[in-house]
Amino acid sequence: MPKVQFIDPKDVRKAGEIKLKPIPVNQYQKTVKDELAAKNFTKEELVRIFHDMVVIREFETMLHLVKTTGGYNGVEYNNPGPAHLSAGQEAAAVGMAYTLNVDDFIFGSHRSHGEIIAKSLRAIQQLDDSALEKIMNEFWDGATVNVVKTVYKGKDVKELGIRFLLYGALAEIFARVTGFNKGLGGSMHTFFTPFGVYPNNAIVGGSGSIAVGAALYKKVNRKSGLVVANIGDGSMARGPVWEGLSFAAMDQFTKLWDGDMKGGLPVIINIMDNQYGMGGQTAGETMGYGIAALIGAGVNPDEMHTERVDGYNPLAVIDAYRRKKKLIEDKKGPVLLDVLTYRYSGHSPSDASSYRSKEEIEAWEQEDCIKGYALQLKDAGVATQEELDAITQKVKDILFETFKLAINDELSPRMDLQKDPELLGSMMFSGGSAEALSTAKPDVNHPISENPRVKQLATKERFAFDKDGKPFSKVKQYQLRDGLFEAIIDRFYKDASLVAYGEENRDWGGAFAVYRGLTEALPYHRLFNTPIAEAAIIGTAIGYAMCGGRVIPEIMYCDFLGCCGDEVFNQLPKWQAMSGNILKMPVVIRVSVGSKYGAQHSQDWTALPAHIPGLKVVFPATPYDAKGLMNSALQGTDPVVFFESQRIYDVGEQFHEGGVPEGYYEIPFGEPDIKRAGTDVTILSIGATLYRALKAADILNDKYGVSAEVIDARSLVPFNYEPVIASVKKTGRIVITGDATNRGSFMRDLASNITELAFDLLDGPPVVVGSRNWITPAHELEDAFFPQPEWIIDAIHEKILPLKGHVASANFTEPQQIRRSKLGV
Amino acid sequence: MAIPVIMPKQGQSVETCIMGEWRKKVGDVVKVGDVLFSYETDKASFEEEAKTDGELLAIFFDEGDEVPVLVNVAVIGAKGESVEEFRPGAAASPATVAPAAASAPTPAVVAAQPAAPTPAQATQSAPAGELKISPRARAEAQSLGVAYQQLQGSGPQGRIIARDIEAAAQNARLTPLAAEKARTEGLMPAPDTTAIGGRTGAADLIIFNPVYGDDFEVKKLSNIRKLIAKSMHQSLQNSAQLTHHLSADARRIMALRKQFKKKLDAGDISQNVTINDLVCLAVIRALKKFPQVNTHFIGDSMRWFKKVHLGLAVDTDRGLMVPTVKNADDLSIEGLSSQLQSVALQCRKGSIDPELLKPEAASFTVSNLGNYGVEVFTPVINLPQSAILGVCTIIPRPKDLGDGIYGFVPMLGLSLTYNHQALDGGEATRFLKQIATEIETLEV
Repeated sequence: MPKVQFIDPKDVRKAGEIKLKPIPVNQYQKTVKDELAAKNFTKEELVRIFHDMVVIREFETMLHLVKTTGGYNGVEYNNPGPAHLSAGQEAAAVGMAYTLNVDDFIFGSHRSHGEIIAKSLRAIQQLDDSALEKIMNEFWDGATVNVVKTVYKGKDVKELGIRFLLYGALAEIFARVTGFNKGLGGSMHTFFTPFGVYPNNAIVGGSGSIAVGAALYKKVNRKSGLVVANIGDGSMARGPVWEGLSFAAMDQFTKLWDGDMKGGLPVIINIMDNQYGMGGQTAGETMGYGIAALIGAGVNPDEMHTERVDGYNPLAVIDAYRRKKKLIEDKKGPVLLDVLTYRYSGHSPSDASSYRSKEEIEAWEQEDCIKGYALQLKDAGVATQEELDAITQKVKDILFETFKLAINDELSPRMDLQKDPELLGSMMFSGGSAEALSTAKPDVNHPISENPRVKQLATKERFAFDKDGKPFSKVKQYQLRDGLFEAIIDRFYKDASLVAYGEENRDWGGAFAVYRGLTEALPYHRLFNTPIAEAAIIGTAIGYAMCGGRVIPEIMYCDFLGCCGDEVFNQLPKWQAMSGNILKMPVVIRVSVGSKYGAQHSQDWTALPAHIPGLKVVFPATPYDAKGLMNSALQGTDPVVFFESQRIYDVGEQFHEGGVPEGYYEIPFGEPDIKRAGTDVTILSIGATLYRALKAADILNDKYGVSAEVIDARSLVPFNYEPVIASVKKTGRIVITGDATNRGSFMRDLASNITELAFDLLDGPPVVVGSRNWITPAHELEDAFFPQPEWIIDAIHEKILPLKGHVASANFTEPQQIRRSKLGV
Repeated sequence: MAIPVIMPKQGQSVETCIMGEWRKKVGDVVKVGDVLFSYETDKASFEEEAKTDGELLAIFFDEGDEVPVLVNVAVIGAKGESVEEFRPGAAASPATVAPAAASAPTPAVVAAQPAAPTPAQATQSAPAGELKISPRARAEAQSLGVAYQQLQGSGPQGRIIARDIEAAAQNARLTPLAAEKARTEGLMPAPDTTAIGGRTGAADLIIFNPVYGDDFEVKKLSNIRKLIAKSMHQSLQNSAQLTHHLSADARRIMALRKQFKKKLDAGDISQNVTINDLVCLAVIRALKKFPQVNTHFIGDSMRWFKKVHLGLAVDTDRGLMVPTVKNADDLSIEGLSSQLQSVALQCRKGSIDPELLKPEAASFTVSNLGNYGVEVFTPVINLPQSAILGVCTIIPRPKDLGDGIYGFVPMLGLSLTYNHQALDGGEATRFLKQIATEIETLEV
């Protein structure tokens, strides 16, 4: 909604038509002979292409045999893990990788062994020997390459590199600690960033937005190279992929971003079009595009420079990449390529390919990419059959040796989680502390002191009350939203890699005015609006962070977490551990819990991210805590789901003596905070419910002479139970309250842990006072849905400590609890 | 050399005494014969005198404490001497409180702030259903040594929660008398305590009542009062009592009384023989003729007494006492009169032999309310005795003097309560009639 772009009704209402450019299909028709004559390739390069395809074919064949015959070359081995094989797709993979440099990144899918091998083989070719040796020797302190060196005694660094690559990948597939990701990623997630190979992804289309985020990182941080998202034709129906395409093709890159930032994203959406998505045939059955390249035509006026390429011919793919790379260099991305190919095996070894005919498979095998290419090489006199056979034999020998190394339990042990039961736990979070993730000077529009919001905040009262304890007026008070703003703008001026985006972040200043003033401070490439595409907002943030940047994606309402469910639950939390701690994930997702807006805009879903291992979850309720926790989130290197509540963006600081400090400070994650001391009962609250808990404490004290200690959880993950147990030791009684619906809430988790940890201290069961298990009704009816101060008292009276003269307003009796549970409400 | 002061043993059956008021306090110099403290048995109260000179070094029990006899209650000696060797062991006496704690603040007693919820009174009655207790309460019960199995919980669904244990522990901070009183009367310890060591004495117990709050004074129930209450209640519960009323012409005993008065005034006799003495003599004579009344009813059998041991109800400041005159049937009227006056006086002075106060000591009891103008009443039998005679006031009643001439004759009201388990109505009536006859024809 930039004001500079005037939407003129006269203009947009004019009659006209959209003319699509023709989309090229399999236009490349040259042969090896032609290319050799045109001196586009040397003989060695042409043989190298053959070699790389053979490596992939043999690698996949080996895995296929292990899977289907329980061994390879007579050596038995059982591989229970997945193997989504890509025999048949070698030309597409090698062609894709051929033009790429080491600093070009590829992202993959569940079927990406071929792409990893192709890109890595290419990188090994490109790196000079010393750089290659350095990479291998530094990786896991040489643990991986040292295994290879037990059988390879030669001096050829390139061959060592190839053996290192094959061993690292295979050991990873076989879940060995010497694998590329300590065996924690496996077949569907293995990668090796020093060769420009970024994560494959077991969720179909997962890379569709993550790769776009990587391209965003390269652009914003002025890094060289492009990014390729290798995703299958089967993924092209997925929402997050479309969201990724929409994000990648935003007009603002060319129309609003300034200076060297102006121009398209350096990303190629490379559809590895093997024509099947699981058991469904995409063209003719499950999709309607006819030819997948058509998709690009609907995305932007450039039609994403889309075309179909014959992925059975490596030279055709290389030709396309040479042309598309030029477009990327000219900042005309994004690009969409439909690389036609075919997989010989089923989706996985358990797939008997009952959905396709034997004749079809045989017909494609007849035109096999390697066989066909070998014929051309011989035709052109580049190599003899004997020479090609020798290459194949050598590849087979290396692979057999690699196989034997990878299944050797002594040389290639698995992580010993029996001996060290905490090892994997210690890998869930990176736990880093870094002021900046970039050494560059941050791009900002003016010195921070000149920022209008910063100037305005200087006039605010940083504590809610005056000397006499009277509250300042709301407009005078420094509010919770100001605490968030201060932490965020501070980081923008410290860390050049930090970007923030969401659906209303620029100009509007965020739906809840947290970012008011940031638009003035920051250029477009650090703060921008996105399409309504939560999956892409989070997915791109993941890609951005994977590459080394820090990012604050905002999804506005908590209720929209479901729209980016895979990204928040499957991608963000997994990659730090799944990469063997190679990747860090400094993503702070801002999530706002609403009220007043009914069933789809008023939910506290803290339990969902808290349930998923690998996410940190916080929910501050005061300006002091908001600023301190945001500072910690932005200093750290872990993914954080940062909950905010729309009920309390305007609260002043009522607790921290001296008010919210102007300077930088951090509040460590995981530490609950006693907001009011008491002796008779503990009330542990999550988020904005704090203020109702305090009101309950007032009533308890004034009416019943019961002194309540009110503890603000502040963090959910991690969570230190010690202060809570200490409080329960004193009071013997605890109520846990929050705005989440009761069933399956994080409050229940707290209650259960407190019961286990403080059983002998308890004078009554820990009681949860959450929202009813209903839809959130209209604002006018909310008092019957969200926990009220009276409910807390009722719960204490009914379940813990009968209060003299108390008449309950809500029903907390056991029969009612059982009845509601029976009814599922 | 410090000397312990022990709780004396008064009477064969006395096992414990209730400590009364301390007349000396720690640090006081005492001389032989100084009264140190008073104490009560279940029958009477006594004073204990110092048997040695010295300084009162320590006091081990407080007023209201139940103290086993022969246990050290104090120490007298030279200033600075150790008293620890004389301190009763905690195991022997759970009521023991270190005197050093007397002046210490009492943080334990913070229970009843006005607004604080008052825990339901823990009672000894076994709660219905299975026992519910919170883990915290269970742990507290263990560390405070509270037997929670008998407590009635005040938590949800009768769950015993921490405050119940704390209240029970607080009760343990009560003196034994206070604890008994709190239990039987449903009272609460008051915020302020007066007993030694910050303990709650019986006088500190209060009841919270929404109507009058604490606008009353709780007065200590004397041991005797308690005992009377108990025995009277038991009497009515455990026997089948009914009362017959009858009048006797009092002209004869009034004339006798006049004669004795004259003799007394003339100095011929020293004993003031009263109407009551004369009635008692008539009763003794009647009993000799109705031995089945001079009995104890003891369930499956009866004690038939050969002699008459006459109990006399005596009103004292401390309450009703019934001393016994042994072998009353051996006495002359003057002897009987003398004995009756003597035991009554001892009762009023509190120096009566406790053995003489036992209901078992008498074979029959006379209770005389005539002096107070009571016309008819239903005395309560002193079990296991079979009957009791209530003597009422003398009322002039119209009587046929012969030949249709009516005149007013002084008539003495007699109310015989008998245990129908022991006696039948006919026997009782004949016995009562016999008393009247004896009164009307008394010879001395």
